[in-house]
Amino acid sequence: MTENIQNAAQNIYKPAIMKIVARHDEAPGVRTMRLEFQDPAEHDQFKATYRTGMFGLYGIYGEGESTFCVASPETRKDYIECTFRQSGRVTSTLARSDIGDLVTFRGPYGNRFPIEEFYGKNLLFIAGGIALPPTRSVIWSCLDQREKFGKVTIVYGARTVADLVYKHELEEWLQRDDVDLVLAVDPGGESPDWKHRVGFVPTVLEEAAPSPDNCIAVLCGPPIMIKFTLISLKKLGFDETNVYTTLENRMKCGLGKCGRCNVGSIYVCKEGPVFTAAEVSRMPAADL
Amino acid sequence: MSIEQQYRTKAKELLSSGEVKMVIGYGPGSTPDRRRPLFITTPDETDRLVLDSACIANLSGYLVTEGLLSDEKRVAIFLRPEGIRTINILAAEAQLNSDQVVIIGFDSAKNEVTALKGSSTEDFSVLIESMRANTPETAKEELFEKIEKMNPQERFTFWQEEFSKCIKCYACRQACPMCYCRRCIVDSNQPQWINTSAHTLGNFEWNIVRAFHLSGRCVECGNCGRACPVNIPLRLINRKMAKEVMDLFDHFAGTNKTQEPVLASFKKDDSETFIL
Amino acid sequence: MTKILFTDKLDNCIERWKSAGRTVIGPVQKNNISTYDTVKSASELDLNLVLPDRSIKELFFPQSEPMLRYTIKKEAINTSEFLPPSGQRIIFGARACDASGLAIDDPLFGWDYKDEYWFQRRNESVIVTIACTKADDFCMCTSLKLAPDSPKGSDIMLRPLENKKGWQVEELTERGREAFKTIADLLQESNEAAAPTITVPEKFDSTACAEWLKKPENFESKFWKEISLRCIGCGSCTYLCPTCHCFDIQDEGDTYNGIRRKNWDSCSFALFTMHTSGHNPRSTQSARWRQRIMHKFNYFPGKFSANSCSGCGRCTRQCPVDMGITETLQEISKLSQ
Repeated sequence: MTENIQNAAQNIYKPAIMKIVARHDEAPGVRTMRLEFQDPAEHDQFKATYRTGMFGLYGIYGEGESTFCVASPETRKDYIECTFRQSGRVTSTLARSDIGDLVTFRGPYGNRFPIEEFYGKNLLFIAGGIALPPTRSVIWSCLDQREKFGKVTIVYGARTVADLVYKHELEEWLQRDDVDLVLAVDPGGESPDWKHRVGFVPTVLEEAAPSPDNCIAVLCGPPIMIKFTLISLKKLGFDETNVYTTLENRMKCGLGKCGRCNVGSIYVCKEGPVFTAAEVSRMPAADL
Repeated sequence: MSIEQQYRTKAKELLSSGEVKMVIGYGPGSTPDRRRPLFITTPDETDRLVLDSACIANLSGYLVTEGLLSDEKRVAIFLRPEGIRTINILAAEAQLNSDQVVIIGFDSAKNEVTALKGSSTEDFSVLIESMRANTPETAKEELFEKIEKMNPQERFTFWQEEFSKCIKCYACRQACPMCYCRRCIVDSNQPQWINTSAHTLGNFEWNIVRAFHLSGRCVECGNCGRACPVNIPLRLINRKMAKEVMDLFDHFAGTNKTQEPVLASFKKDDSETFIL
Repeated sequence: MTKILFTDKLDNCIERWKSAGRTVIGPVQKNNISTYDTVKSASELDLNLVLPDRSIKELFFPQSEPMLRYTIKKEAINTSEFLPPSGQRIIFGARACDASGLAIDDPLFGWDYKDEYWFQRRNESVIVTIACTKADDFCMCTSLKLAPDSPKGSDIMLRPLENKKGWQVEELTERGREAFKTIADLLQESNEAAAPTITVPEKFDSTACAEWLKKPENFESKFWKEISLRCIGCGSCTYLCPTCHCFDIQDEGDTYNGIRRKNWDSCSFALFTMHTSGHNPRSTQSARWRQRIMHKFNYFPGKFSANSCSGCGRCTRQCPVDMGITETLQEISKLSQ
């Protein structure tokens, strides 16, 4: 059960004001923003409560709010980074924003990845396309304390080379000798000088065949990719209680009150967005 | 044989012969004076159908929901005269193929139900013409007359009070067979044309826009007013707009299935100088 | 001997409460609809209704609640908060199903994050419930293990006298006691008998329903499509329900100025769960009807130990196609045999 996070008599619907201090176009239609708090009290509140896995509602007054994860890790709380795809009203306006503009942030909400339970274990990160951001938050939380973990393997694939996000960080991870990064693009998505794998993520994963022994898997991606990757993980011997994933749903309040984000009896904003694959398999698939 | 019995038999025949895949009609409700929509798919279920003067709702809206007619099979439906006009309008607006609809027509007055002969909309064109000719007679409702006698300021005050009750549930829209837009204007958010809040502006915007969108299309079936949980006399606004459309454009909605929508079509000899 | 409030003293009571700074609210008929509204005298109240058409939740959770006003400049965004209107209120003549609806929603609005818009109004309101002596075909409080005189959510319970000249007064909470101190001398000790509260027959077995709903295999049952064929997704049931609480957050204004508001929403609306990507987990009306029933009788009780329903029957009373919760739960009761 979560602690009572709210300060006394606080308006729970009031967002913090953030300034965009950096922005980067990751892929066509995909933007990363780095935001800094303007109010020290709001920043302290964030530093006291944020853990990797939690999400926020990012918005613009006049347009609305949109839900994305916090893509920066719990080991770096001086700023918030988020990555989003331009798709609707709020994200289109965010995409038109520039460095120095002010946006709103409400959060952090939700549950977290139990990183302490991963200490001493091997880590397998699997992500597809724009689902790298939530995974990346966990990856950095672990790499920032590298000595606490065993082998770190990352399997990341996108439709095409252009669709890969965090390209600079991918380069960094390729250079590191304490990280095994397997990069892939879908068949037909490779460029002439592509040096890495070609294939769908589940296939590439099975080829890489990481061992399930003492290993935690963190898996994020579109529902179809998750479905097939879980099959592959099972084939490789992974148990569903050791596979973590995140769920998304349409949200408005993020506080468990507006009644919108539940999958069966589980409210993604309160009891998620982090779930084990075992928990997800108990949810009614027809409600996903 | 009572008309109810006649029509039950008819429904049974239509289903057993395979001519239709479903009969949409009325069934008993949770209290003696209520009726509810019924969707019958097997011949033996037709005994559940009832037909009496309490069967008032216009059921034609179900024909355009959730792909009911997309398998190209036929559906039979119990319809009052307004419902038959609705089929014509939906066909004229390309929302359904009227060949897929078998009409089981009826009317009621003073607790007596009369059967209407015919099964496709063309069979009822004489009936609809007489409805058009009778419009001034049928429009003698007390409240409507009262409002007609008000000056613009009084009318505005009257509707302001009525709309202040509105809670933006959009039941009127859901109940109306003519409100079939996949994404209603109030559900658009780029931009948010109409506020969803139930304050004075939001309520006026919604109700007036809906009245305009129905001008020349409403058949005054009354589904909207019956659905409204706060008893706003919505049908009167639509009745007024229908009267205006008749006076200005001599247009009576739903006379046949090729009738052009009056506000959505343009002819070179229209009195306005521009398409708007 | 019990304390009695006679009806001829009601006007004085209202005066007293008003002088003490309380707004008095009660069931009224206005514009062809009955609702809870501010009254200045007893004659404005209609205490003969089975229950008002509109529910008491509107006094605590309005259809549109302004929350934040924003003004956007290049270097800063100025916001000011709308606080819920403050002021003591006494709601005279609530029904038990309405009062219990409020108590049912308290844990939701306080789930880890406290919604001050709800709680400020709750803390400043005294609910004086009048036990029902009549019911109609749609009432179903007893099926939810509540009653026409259930004390849940009420501060004072008034029981109508048999001679119809007043009510027996039962103080239930400290808040109620405080409010009635103001009119203490207007009450009389008497032996007058109370009229029997109406018996509302149970319409379905809510325990059996809960068991059926919990079973994972029933989530995909054909039952859901069959029972909801006629539902038109109009939202009336949600908006009149004393416990329904779903909402939307909307910004209204122009690019530089506006107000962020909380507005009612309904899980029966087609676009309620629509993702921007175009994926809609509940794209059919039957999926949305299932959500409504599951939420009210399975998920909510799982978290907050009470069904999200007080049995007022407004959903069925008002439904334009004669749906509502009663029939669905009756059918589920049968299925669970």
